[in-house]
Amino acid sequence: MNATSVPSNSEGQPSGSAPHVETSTGRDTEAAHLVELMTLSSRGHEEAFAELYDRTSQRIYGIILRVLRSPDHAAEVMQEVYVEVWRQSARYSREKGSVIAWMTTMAHRRAVDRVRSVSSEVARDERYAFHGGDREIDQVWDGVEQRLDVERVRRGMASLTPIQREALTLAYFGGYTQSQVAQLLKLPLGTVKTRIRDGLIGLRDALGVEA
Amino acid sequence: MSEIHGAVGSYVVNALDPDGLEEFEAHLAVCPSCTREVQEFTETAAELSLLASATPPPALGGSILAAISEVRPLPPKPSAEIALAEAKAPEAVSAPAAKRPVDELALRRQQRRTRILSVLVAAVVAAALALGGVVYGLVNARQAQVAQQAAETELLTAPDVKTYVATMKDGGQVSFVVSKSLNRAMFIGKDLPAVGTDQTYQLWTLEGQRPIPDNLVAGGGDRQEFFRETLSGVTGLAVSVEAAGGAQQPNPSTIQVVTELAA
Repeated sequence: MNATSVPSNSEGQPSGSAPHVETSTGRDTEAAHLVELMTLSSRGHEEAFAELYDRTSQRIYGIILRVLRSPDHAAEVMQEVYVEVWRQSARYSREKGSVIAWMTTMAHRRAVDRVRSVSSEVARDERYAFHGGDREIDQVWDGVEQRLDVERVRRGMASLTPIQREALTLAYFGGYTQSQVAQLLKLPLGTVKTRIRDGLIGLRDALGVEA
Repeated sequence: MSEIHGAVGSYVVNALDPDGLEEFEAHLAVCPSCTREVQEFTETAAELSLLASATPPPALGGSILAAISEVRPLPPKPSAEIALAEAKAPEAVSAPAAKRPVDELALRRQQRRTRILSVLVAAVVAAALALGGVVYGLVNARQAQVAQQAAETELLTAPDVKTYVATMKDGGQVSFVVSKSLNRAMFIGKDLPAVGTDQTYQLWTLEGQRPIPDNLVAGGGDRQEFFRETLSGVTGLAVSVEAAGGAQQPNPSTIQVVTELAA
């Protein structure tokens, strides 16, 4: 927890090309602003919470929808997540990581919980998870900075080995357990476990994200 | 590096099966390097959500803002989450303190169960206050699996669990969590008004017009209490304020709330 107040572009970035640094600075500013909004929310400021919603809802809704596939379920989980963020806003602290990571974690967990409790009802195409997303993104993101962020993550994913990428994608976007991923990929469980972790290590290093 | 470290990635992307989750969390509690890696991976995984971005339905924002305007944000926690759970443990977990297991996994499991329980109860109250009606989406395989031993959790995870929300005459917010299949009901009071030291809340089951005295609940703070009676023949639940020790028959003026159960 020693690095939370250190700007994330201070070290560990192999190449400091101009757009990259700008994006990173923009992210820091945005991250700090989300912390302010969270603090205000914890004091009952509904307008601040509304802004927090506006600034985060595409990512939060996106991950919930991607895991659940059902807009009806996604809307329910979305509501649960934001009510919970509001309730828990005073319990967030920078030491736990960024606001967006805190929220995304909560959203992903709840989406996965929901999908595992209703999975028999929802027909899900596991391959869609990795191949289906590009068009949505272009429709959603119109800011240059956000496009760069998306591009950065996409490049990070592209830097992984195919099995790392596939395992991580099925687990994160597909909401599958590691055992299910192992079945889908016809690989031993231990291999899948390792690939998921290696995938996250590779992505972490490619993105230069610090906790 | 032992094998358990390898589960850190699956943990962060919520891909562990319930048993693996429990085992890993026990390890995580005592492993600083895994703790650090979890924090880093959590940030990394959050970046992945950029690839999934989608615009939510326009009405959803308004619906969420309407919902939160009726929910009070929790106060900050004075100390660590686990310390709080430990403080509550003797109350919420029925095992006597003397029998508390000492090995890391079992201790962690017990703390976790207690913590899940308080989270579940909080979630039920929140959902009940925010949405009313049937509780859904609170309970999942992971929580159910880990927390099975607790009667409260069994109730909260019952497939037919229903929550009835009501406001008492004295302003206290209460919920009745009811499962017909388990034949049990639980009372949950959130920030209950304090009653005098010579008074107590009393629960009642109603069989038609006939009230049957049930357990007593102290005033003040957050309380949860099972109904002693099963639900056979019960058509409603009620709460009154009575003299300490409770009453055999409620006085109409002391009734705080009556809730009819759905058929």
